[in-house]
Amino acid sequence: MLAMPPDDSSERRFVERLQQHDERAFNELVEAYSPRVYRLVARMLGRRADAEDMAQEVFVQIFKSIGQFRGDAKLGTWIYRVAINLCKNRSKYLSRRQDDKQDALDAIVDHQPLHQAKGVTSGQVSRPDQMVEGMQIEAIMRRCIAELDADFREALILRDVESLSYEEIVEITGVAEGTVKSRIHRARALLKQRVSEALGESLP
Amino acid sequence: MTDSQNPNRERNSSPDSEIDAAEAARLRKLLLGALDPTEEQAPDVLRGVQRKLRERSGGKFYADGWTTTRFAPISTYLVTSLMMLTFMAFIYFVLHPLSGAPTTVRNVPVPVHVVVPRK
Repeated sequence: MLAMPPDDSSERRFVERLQQHDERAFNELVEAYSPRVYRLVARMLGRRADAEDMAQEVFVQIFKSIGQFRGDAKLGTWIYRVAINLCKNRSKYLSRRQDDKQDALDAIVDHQPLHQAKGVTSGQVSRPDQMVEGMQIEAIMRRCIAELDADFREALILRDVESLSYEEIVEITGVAEGTVKSRIHRARALLKQRVSEALGESLP
Repeated sequence: MTDSQNPNRERNSSPDSEIDAAEAARLRKLLLGALDPTEEQAPDVLRGVQRKLRERSGGKFYADGWTTTRFAPISTYLVTSLMMLTFMAFIYFVLHPLSGAPTTVRNVPVPVHVVVPRK
């Protein structure tokens, strides 16, 4: 799943260094995993302003609890699990404080049917009107994803954005494969419904 | 009954086959477009992590003031060394002319008077 360390024995030695709180080993860990952890938490939280702080918290938590890592899963999977759990806790905290409003892009939206969207995103178009349209759709998507239940959002992001296998998602989330599949299915259906509603297209 | 209303179908087969394939592909494309921050560089997380660990451990970890940098600060060492050498050279060349030529010291033997103690 993740690029380093390359094999089991080197990973074991690396983990031993981490468990001895070897600062150089920990620096290597942060360097290797921070880009992916940052992207994951940014997607999970939907708030890039919080993502950097959250990514730091993930590694602080890893430093504190690396002694509990028994090697049952791969180190990368375990890091993902820590990141996902912290993100879920943060999301709950933010929703309790009703502080989960999204960025300014999701303000005014021209209603457009989903079937006309054709996967248009701001990175794939060149004309200004298409770019605005793409940005609006992206904003709607982000808002709808943020409104999903944390378990559904987690499953959807791990599968459809991070492209992880079901086995990896099972290891990360700690739930049965059937539940994972069910959550992915429900998340897709809910997302489709909400995006369609936001774009002004009635459901079939 | 729609797919989402049929839990048995959801649990027994892959969700990839549940939603219409074209619809799922379109949804995934939109998802990637909305959530893929490829245009954004991941920030430097390491410094913040080290700072937090130093603060929260009361200085037990990352406390020496040098490991907060990713690499050894070679340039800092070099600049400091060069500045010290320059300063020492400056002091030498300023103070050396002020010191003048060395004075010759003559060691003339002085007669010794032996004082005999009185009885």
